[in-house]
Amino acid sequence: MKTSILLFIGLFSFQAFAKDVTMEALVRSNNGYPENENVVLTNIVSEDSFDGEFFKIVKGKSEDAVKFTDDKHVTFRAATTYYHLMKARSYFIEKVKSEYVSNIPKMTIRIEHTNQFSELGHFAHDNLEPQSNNALTIPAGKGFESRGVKPWNMEIWFRPSKKVNIKDLRVNNMAQQEFQVLLGQFRDQIHMQSLNRFLSNVIVAYTKEQQAGAPGPFSQESLIRTVGSSLILEAGYLLMDPLTKALSRKWYWLDTALIPEIIYHEYAHAALSDHLVLSHSTAIIEGMADFFAGQIADSPKLATKIKKYNTYNGKNAKRKQEYMIQFEMQDYANTDFVFGMLWEMKKIVGDDKGLDFMYELRKKVTTNSGIRNELVEGILSTCDDMCDMPFNDKMRILKALNLKGL
Amino acid sequence: MRFTLLLMLFAFPALAQETVSFQNDREGQSFYYNAGKINRALRDFKAEEIVEIYQNSIKGVEASKVCAYDINKSMSDAFIKKSPRFDSYEGALIFLRHWNHLDDVSLKILLDARKVSTLSIDAKDPQQLRKPDAKKIADMLKVVASFKEKFLKNGCYDEAYRNMVGEIRKVGDASEAELEGLYVEASKKKMITADVYNMLERARAGEVTANFLTLKTYSQKMKSLRLHKPLRDATERSDFVTQKVNKMKVSHRVKLMEQYSDLQIMMMADVVKRLRTRLEAKKVTITIFGEEEDVEVITLEPMERFRLAIKLLRKEMKLLSLNTYFNGRTPDYMDLITASYETSLIPAVELKELGGLQEIWNPTKTFWEKASVWIRTFSSVATIAIPAPYGFIPALVLVVIEATVGKGADTQPDDTVLF
Repeated sequence: MKTSILLFIGLFSFQAFAKDVTMEALVRSNNGYPENENVVLTNIVSEDSFDGEFFKIVKGKSEDAVKFTDDKHVTFRAATTYYHLMKARSYFIEKVKSEYVSNIPKMTIRIEHTNQFSELGHFAHDNLEPQSNNALTIPAGKGFESRGVKPWNMEIWFRPSKKVNIKDLRVNNMAQQEFQVLLGQFRDQIHMQSLNRFLSNVIVAYTKEQQAGAPGPFSQESLIRTVGSSLILEAGYLLMDPLTKALSRKWYWLDTALIPEIIYHEYAHAALSDHLVLSHSTAIIEGMADFFAGQIADSPKLATKIKKYNTYNGKNAKRKQEYMIQFEMQDYANTDFVFGMLWEMKKIVGDDKGLDFMYELRKKVTTNSGIRNELVEGILSTCDDMCDMPFNDKMRILKALNLKGL
Repeated sequence: MRFTLLLMLFAFPALAQETVSFQNDREGQSFYYNAGKINRALRDFKAEEIVEIYQNSIKGVEASKVCAYDINKSMSDAFIKKSPRFDSYEGALIFLRHWNHLDDVSLKILLDARKVSTLSIDAKDPQQLRKPDAKKIADMLKVVASFKEKFLKNGCYDEAYRNMVGEIRKVGDASEAELEGLYVEASKKKMITADVYNMLERARAGEVTANFLTLKTYSQKMKSLRLHKPLRDATERSDFVTQKVNKMKVSHRVKLMEQYSDLQIMMMADVVKRLRTRLEAKKVTITIFGEEEDVEVITLEPMERFRLAIKLLRKEMKLLSLNTYFNGRTPDYMDLITASYETSLIPAVELKELGGLQEIWNPTKTFWEKASVWIRTFSSVATIAIPAPYGFIPALVLVVIEATVGKGADTQPDDTVLF
């Protein structure tokens, strides 16, 4: 009884202490563009810093919350991450009804953090390849008391943005690859056309009487025209690649702490971590996080509208991407295939049920699940449990997956 | 034991004398629904009156003697008697279907019978007509002359006509054109009355011999189907089976009943039942047995299971057409689906999705896919015909078509999957 009273008093005083703070942050406008806006940061428990009931925003390896009076560059990012993390948390608790999320202990959110993650030491050594232009969610760790590493809870790390030359990146630019294939086909077609025209001229010249003065197929004029068109195209084809590189953007950077969808994506990793453990990046774990980020953002497009802050080629659930075995592998784990596939599944089971369906699906898959086997099996099994008409919905799912090339 | 046999002896004649009913127990919205025609019928009669006239016309009619022509005549006479200006008999029948006193199959039989009975007959020029072999014509004319006494007396009009034609063809070959000449000859020689001539000519012109489904055979077919495959849910209705069959003027269910016997329908339904079981399978394995005890078990992935089920369906459909009972007839997939619903093996709510499976092996072509064939052909010619510097345009068109419409058609087989 005494404990209950103490708990009640504690809770009351804590609630009473939590306050709202208005700060400038980056949000999405109604048409999806980023804009600065004064937003209310709720559940702040500190008088002067970004220390909330559920999130504490710190800079780098520090354990102290970012002060409201710190550099604008930092406070703007701290306010943006805090605001969108609260939004993502509310979404999981209110819409998804996730009990797990409501019990997640207070999370430390690190912005402008460059250290790599170490399962033993929390932070890898400062000199070990500092990170930029990305974000990650790390699992809780037990620490290493003898080496002074304290235990830590689940954390989200946002790296600083850094301009990188595009040629230094290993980019899976599928759209460009498809364009190259098209251009190759066009080149073949033109070469074949030139050959056809030359051969037909030869046949006509030897089977039909020619007008006086008309150029023959082997005349200089005719040969120049035939060979010339092929040469011009070949030159264009060979020059296309360097020309594209010369004309396209050369620098890449990504300020992850300022992109709402990336913030939602990282928080979704945390929210789904009761079943999808945060060990490494796979197609399933990324696709599931993308799906919930898309849901929270209420948009199938992730980051495609951001022009001011990054050149990140975002994910688009509406893209009709066909399955390739490479999607099962780590290099391609971040492509948008699973995201698009899950978005389509949501449409099949019904928009009203889609959210619960996907949240339930996390129980049927693991971080290491494959797309073609365990994910499809999980979707079918979840449908057995949750669909209104399981057989019909499964047929529609199977037909859709078949069309996706699975 | 003796008691049971005795009971059966009493029961069978009792069953044989059972009165008919063509009450709709499977179909949703009628394929023949026509609000205008129904309203025209209701101008002269109340709904209850139409139902009453119909019920009186089938009252006491035994299943073994039911005849569409007799029902039509009885109903038509009753309508005219009550309201001489009544001219919407078809509307009355559609009304009866709308209120489920009939189904589409029985409705079509009645409508077709009505069409034959009211067919107008052209005047014939005997000089223009073909006649059967002169040596056999005398015997054939005797058969024609006996139509009323020998055939019509003991059966329904269409059945009587078919039997008579069968009898004529036993005497010798007689094409439809020769039958036409034969009836005129019989009439000219006063071997048949003008009424009988009209009946025979209408039956011939109405192609009565081409349609084997009568109310009697339909009634027998339904009785057999319901006996062997009782309805799981008598209230279940489906709009899917009353949809139009592509390139035909009938619905799926009418086509099924017209073209297949009860046994064939049950065999077709079993194929879909097996398909459904395979589609629902949680696990499918391929077991490889070695010479001794070496065994390898390969578990199929979910999509492999799905495609295996489709492949087995295709195989069983092919085997079905080779079955003796099908006499070379190749049932299409929609026939199978309709049969499975008819026999209650598949519920109505699953028909659409199961029916949609044929998209996998027989995808519907979009307008652009059809158009692309022509565009491709013309572009190929245009690559030579169009002079420089515009020659690149058809080449570009060809590439764009290949990249969009033709995509998928040339996809290489995926070696990472079994099916």
